[in-house]
Amino acid sequence: MSAAPRLLPAALALLLTLPGTARAGVRPAYGGEIRVQLPAPPRIADPAQAVDPADVLLVRAVHATPLTIDEAGHLAPGLLEEVPVAAAGGRAFRLRLRAGLRFADGSPLAAPDLAASLTRLLSRDAPNAWVALPVLGADAFLAGRAATLAGVQVLSDRELLVTLAFPLPEWPYALATPAASVISPRGGGAGPFQLQSLDAAGARLLPNPLHWRGRPFADRLTLSGAEARASARALSRGEVDLVLRPEAASPLATPTPALLATVAAVNGRRLGAGAEPVRRLLDSLDRAELGQRFARGPSAPLACLVPPALLPPPGPAEAAGAPGAAPARLVLLASSAAPDQRAVAERIQVRLFDAGVRAALELEEPARFAARLAAEDYDVALVPVPVQPLAPALAAGQVVLAVRGSDAARRAMAALSGPGGLEPAAAGEQARALGRALDLWPLFATGARASTGPALEGLRVGVDGGIDPGDLWRRRGEAQ
Amino acid sequence: MTARRKDAHLLSLTALVAALLAAPAGAAPASGGPPASLAAVSDDLARAVGPPAEGRRGLVLAVEARARQLQGPLETTLADALARQGYAVTPARGSGDPEAAARAGGQDWLLRVQAGLVPGRRELALVGEFIPAWESFFLQRRPGARARPPRLVQARGPADPETLLLGREERPPGAPAIRLVPLGRIAGRVLALAVGDAGEGPAIAAATPGAVLLLSAAGAELARREPDRSGWRAVRDPAAVLSVGDFGGGRLAVQWAGAPRGEVLARSGDRLEVVAALSAAPLCAAEGVRLFGQFAPGKGLLLDQLALAVDPDSRPRSDRELYGVSAAPHGGPIAFAALDSSLRLELLGPDLSPAGPALPGVGVGFALADLDGDGMAEVVASSPSATGPDRIRVIAPRVERSLLFESPPLEGAVLAAAGGDLTGDGVDDAVVAVVSRQGEGEVSDLLLLTSDPRELR
Repeated sequence: MSAAPRLLPAALALLLTLPGTARAGVRPAYGGEIRVQLPAPPRIADPAQAVDPADVLLVRAVHATPLTIDEAGHLAPGLLEEVPVAAAGGRAFRLRLRAGLRFADGSPLAAPDLAASLTRLLSRDAPNAWVALPVLGADAFLAGRAATLAGVQVLSDRELLVTLAFPLPEWPYALATPAASVISPRGGGAGPFQLQSLDAAGARLLPNPLHWRGRPFADRLTLSGAEARASARALSRGEVDLVLRPEAASPLATPTPALLATVAAVNGRRLGAGAEPVRRLLDSLDRAELGQRFARGPSAPLACLVPPALLPPPGPAEAAGAPGAAPARLVLLASSAAPDQRAVAERIQVRLFDAGVRAALELEEPARFAARLAAEDYDVALVPVPVQPLAPALAAGQVVLAVRGSDAARRAMAALSGPGGLEPAAAGEQARALGRALDLWPLFATGARASTGPALEGLRVGVDGGIDPGDLWRRRGEAQ
Repeated sequence: MTARRKDAHLLSLTALVAALLAAPAGAAPASGGPPASLAAVSDDLARAVGPPAEGRRGLVLAVEARARQLQGPLETTLADALARQGYAVTPARGSGDPEAAARAGGQDWLLRVQAGLVPGRRELALVGEFIPAWESFFLQRRPGARARPPRLVQARGPADPETLLLGREERPPGAPAIRLVPLGRIAGRVLALAVGDAGEGPAIAAATPGAVLLLSAAGAELARREPDRSGWRAVRDPAAVLSVGDFGGGRLAVQWAGAPRGEVLARSGDRLEVVAALSAAPLCAAEGVRLFGQFAPGKGLLLDQLALAVDPDSRPRSDRELYGVSAAPHGGPIAFAALDSSLRLELLGPDLSPAGPALPGVGVGFALADLDGDGMAEVVASSPSATGPDRIRVIAPRVERSLLFESPPLEGAVLAAAGGDLTGDGVDDAVVAVVSRQGEGEVSDLLLLTSDPRELR
């Protein structure tokens, strides 16, 4: 069995308890406004740049992906007419678009748009380059040695041939992630909504009647940000319909899959021989306790680079590293954007102190955090990575790209894949070995909670944690 | 109209007859006479018996009917018809052997008649055994021997509403007034249902996102059509309207939300062929009427636009949107009902004028059907709640205690329903589709909702 396209029972059970489009004797009603509140307002609608959950939700609202994930966690057609079949030993995929596709602005959506959208993911520092990294010629394109992406060939207005640099049969799972959305030359999307305005208060969106599934149910969608208590108050007063954040904003909150991975990156070059005791300490951390006590959302311990929602955790491993002298001081870098990252960092700081290491915790805002991470300006860094794809090789690639860059990410994806894929147990061991080789120490994965108001219907949290905002609708009249 | 005493557990046939007798002119049989179809079939049977032979006129008439209340009126019409043939008719009385009684009474003939409604058809059937009752001179040593072999006679004819009411069997003691009977399962989500005579007796039509199916009254597939979806506009919530009635070249009409036009279909073997296109959506049909409307562009809901004919000048009545429209199969004061997206059911008369206060809280799986045969349609409705299991309810509009029936919780959601006589007893039934998830797809279980006593056993 391939390790890629699989669902763990817990994730499936979660999915099946959630409402579908129609419940009891009620079908969706059209109209009205859906108001969604997030920990922070969305800022980015570009699929190539969106990483933060609020931005990813905005991308899901504005853009459409080539493939989708169905309720059972399988790939399903999206903009593509059908799920592509792997050819050439898992290295080639012929992608065929549906007929008559259009962007929200009315311009036609064709194969060159899909090719351009894949290629633009490979800009420098693009966090979602992992989608296109396996494509043949991605390294040359990234290094500026090639003007085009060799592995992407437009066959016709509706057909595209994608050739990968190495066998990765599960690559189509990347096409079902928001990062792979098709964007128009003018930056527009083909998603269920079109962006009306985006500012510091949030995003306001209007329906796109040209979406391939049909217009969304709501006439307006707003995405805004607020802190936890304000969101809970707004939900109880009926001022918002859906709150998506780690904490529950109502007693009926539904957990989403734990796919936000937090890994500790050790900078062995800076720590030198002092890195070994740090590795041992990170390896010995009680990950379950760390997640449960310090993460705000539902959490699961990470035994390897791939969240347990996608891959069963491998068995116990031997302690890492050889004994050595601990460094007297080190810099512990964490992002200030997520409150629970600070709490976890402080916990690790305490554990390091217990081991005789004084750690200076340095919290940085996201942009500066990313810059310091890229420059390896840290001794230990806590890196949160929202994992988008359901395939373990791609998930590992995304995590590695976030910390160690594109070359390492390509190697990680190749190591976890193969023509027939790896058995789950083997893939788990491989992912753990990969993490150690890259000096990455997975800690835990967290999810969010979806708290809904009494009138909201149509919420379906996918196995990939995704929500299609176009499916949300408000009950009216007696239905309430 | 007689004051209606609705009770959730009682649908008394006696009350139905009383209601019928008190019905306003136009709905009632010709005053003073027997039901026309009863008299006609009786005449046919009397003609099949023929005039008395050899001057033997004495005839004992023994009538047995599956429905007790049919027995008396049928005996009267048969006696009249036989008298017109020249017989001196004596109705058999008591529980003894009528043949022995006829012999003992010196009668010439015994006509023993079995009567009943033909299942699945609106017809009354009579089967008679015409038995000689005189003593044969040559068979004196064999008491009871017949002078000549008996002769079988039969007659069948359409049953008018009055005859259908009389022929309806009584509910068995302790049986529920309404019962849900499983009919069958359809792959996929049933979006719309219709019941009616599709050309070969009562049938069910069902539309799923990928096909329209014609089913027998028992739920067996007879024919299907899978439409060509090219040129269709995508709709997020699939929907369809479906009607069985007179649409010119075919008796089935369908339109899916997103399709550019409706289709009139006719059966050709196991396929449904398109015989005409419709520029309006066939919302529903009933005896002699069809209602047309339009889907809201790009949506799975209908505009609030109702027209009794395909009318290019027809305009929406309001900016509301409708989940669906249903017609009472046999008309009546409540002839149509339209459900808007706030789950409020508007009741309309035959001319589309309001026919009473709107019913709040009606689920999207709804239909009009006169389940008790009193001439006024009831509302068969799913639950309006988006939480918890679905149920099927029968609601009598215009009365105080309006909930006549409520099913146990169902495994699935009722998203489509239709009314019509499927059991052939002359009284409406309803069929509902319960959509549930099975494996990675959906299935729809069709349930018959009936008050036909034969289905209540």
